[in-house]
Amino acid sequence: MTKEERLKKRHRAEKRFRFYGLSSIVVALLFVIILVNNIFSKGSSAFMKTVINVEVFFDPELIEIKNGATEDEILSADFFDITIETLLKSYPTKNIDEEDGLIDLFTTDAEIEIKKAFLDNNNLIGKKINLEITASDDIDQLHKGNYPRDLPEDRRRISNFQLEIYDNFVESNKIDKNFNNYFFNNGDSRDPELAGIGGALVGSFYSILICLLLAFPVAVLASIYLEEFAPKNKITDFIEININNLAAVPSIVYGLLALQILLATIQLPRSTPLVAGITLALMTLPRIIIPCRASLKAVPPSIREGALAVGASKFQSVFHHVVPLALPGTLSGTIIGLAQALGETAPLILIGMVAFVVDIPSTPVDPSSSLPVQVYLWSESAERGFVEKTSATIMMLLSFLIVMNILAVYLRQKFEKRWN
Amino acid sequence: MSDIKIKSKNLNVYYGDKQALFDVNLDLNEKEVTALIGPSGCGKSTFIRCINRMNDVIDICKVTGNIEIDGIEINDSNLDVVSLRERVGMVFQKPNPFPKSIYDNISYGPKIHGKGETKNELDEIVEKSLKKAALWEEVKDRLNEPGTGLSGGQQQRLCIARAISVNPEVILMDEPCSALDPIATAKIEELIDELKKTYTIVIVTHSMAQAVRVSQKTGFFHLGKIIEVGKTEKIFKNPDNKMTQDYITGRFG
Repeated sequence: MTKEERLKKRHRAEKRFRFYGLSSIVVALLFVIILVNNIFSKGSSAFMKTVINVEVFFDPELIEIKNGATEDEILSADFFDITIETLLKSYPTKNIDEEDGLIDLFTTDAEIEIKKAFLDNNNLIGKKINLEITASDDIDQLHKGNYPRDLPEDRRRISNFQLEIYDNFVESNKIDKNFNNYFFNNGDSRDPELAGIGGALVGSFYSILICLLLAFPVAVLASIYLEEFAPKNKITDFIEININNLAAVPSIVYGLLALQILLATIQLPRSTPLVAGITLALMTLPRIIIPCRASLKAVPPSIREGALAVGASKFQSVFHHVVPLALPGTLSGTIIGLAQALGETAPLILIGMVAFVVDIPSTPVDPSSSLPVQVYLWSESAERGFVEKTSATIMMLLSFLIVMNILAVYLRQKFEKRWN
Repeated sequence: MSDIKIKSKNLNVYYGDKQALFDVNLDLNEKEVTALIGPSGCGKSTFIRCINRMNDVIDICKVTGNIEIDGIEINDSNLDVVSLRERVGMVFQKPNPFPKSIYDNISYGPKIHGKGETKNELDEIVEKSLKKAALWEEVKDRLNEPGTGLSGGQQQRLCIARAISVNPEVILMDEPCSALDPIATAKIEELIDELKKTYTIVIVTHSMAQAVRVSQKTGFFHLGKIIEVGKTEKIFKNPDNKMTQDYITGRFG
């Protein structure tokens, strides 16, 4: 082989490698695009809800409270008759079946929505107002175009009569799409139009907060001790191997551990963010310790020597010089560890976070759900309306993860100091 | 002749199983510059790191024998190394300023030793230290800029100023000019000449010329043993030992 041939061969090898690298990146990006596109196309409609405009007449004969009633009086009052009257007046019906069909077009919470309107203005007795009542899940899906209306009637959940009413509403502009406040404010529900991630959001927030409060100080102190103070011997080697192994333990094992120790032995309340936070903290500890130690290791020894040489004690050299330099890496490691914990599902299923929780937890010891578990729960549900809810929850989860990862990168770049 | 400041007797140092120093007996005079020369790995740095107990940092390092400063044994596990290092400052081979401002680099030592109670006192110490290290004129207008932004030679003078700031009695210099260009080296050498009026200085160097220029006394190390010690002029002009002769004339090393 001549010199020129060898040179050509080397150039070809380089070009080939570049091509392989580029195509790998393209393939990876393609998958990301498919995934994100799939989630967005399914999930974005969940942020809107279908509402039906109806005329509410607060008939003094159907309601026992008067104008100017107090909040307590309104809350305990019965709005059922007014609600039925309102819904039935929205379209002419001939028999009881048709009446049922008409009422089914509206959410089961129609009474609460009318009550809320009265709470906002307690002088409505004897007056008529126009109110937008949330549509039932079936109408919501139909209006969003997710419902196959060309199926034969016996295979549809929506009857021909209901379709007739819907078309009439559309023609008379009574149907509209509004921002879906329920999706953010409500807890879980059997009715997709009322189900929201409010409970899961609060549950996830408490869990991650407890996880942070437990894992961060323990992990940082353990890393500093192991890296800076502990003697290098067989025991510390053994600890190091164990930490690395723990980081690789499947998360469901931590769930089993929590089930046995936290729930069965210590008897902490199940399905609560408290238990979830402790479990996630156990799982996250090694995942924070490893980057933490790496960033301490990355501080050049000359900085330690410089501090010691002017008479700083070991403690001073570590806390005045080494730790501040390792802080950016430590923080970003912590945030990435927490982001992993936020997306963790398996251990939470074992400690009972899969329970059906309607109320939004007000303390970390109330039963609650969490975002990834909510995704799991809804993806199992049969109702069509939960499909978009599942994707929308994934969108929320992904956006939190992206924000956390960006924060990690930002902190690292902003506070990273360069030395020589 | 000056008085003896530091005295080592039968000093042995081991790194694990490997012995790095063998029965080193060496006296260093007060307010004088002592140069330690010898081929790489001969134990010069190990020796000066015994004087401020920097070897404590290395887990596997064991030191036996005696080192006295002003007649007080310092190789004693009961001795407080913090106050020892306050008295014995050190400048390293590679400039290692803290990644902080120039001001903070100098004021750190006095602060932890409680030497500058007020801002004014600290300001004064910083100015004095920088002036002694011949850096004041170059940095007085940018004391709040990072020390790591200075040139290599300036960084090394900053490290010298940092060592001076706690007002030590001894300054150890471990090849302080090996990472610097000739002009920066000349400045440091001038500085050493000036500093020896106040401090006892021990300098490890690979440059014969530098040893001749800055030191009054020279010790030649080889394979962990001290081969010959004496006045610098004598060592370089008329050494007693054949090995010393070979080393300084560049026949091995």
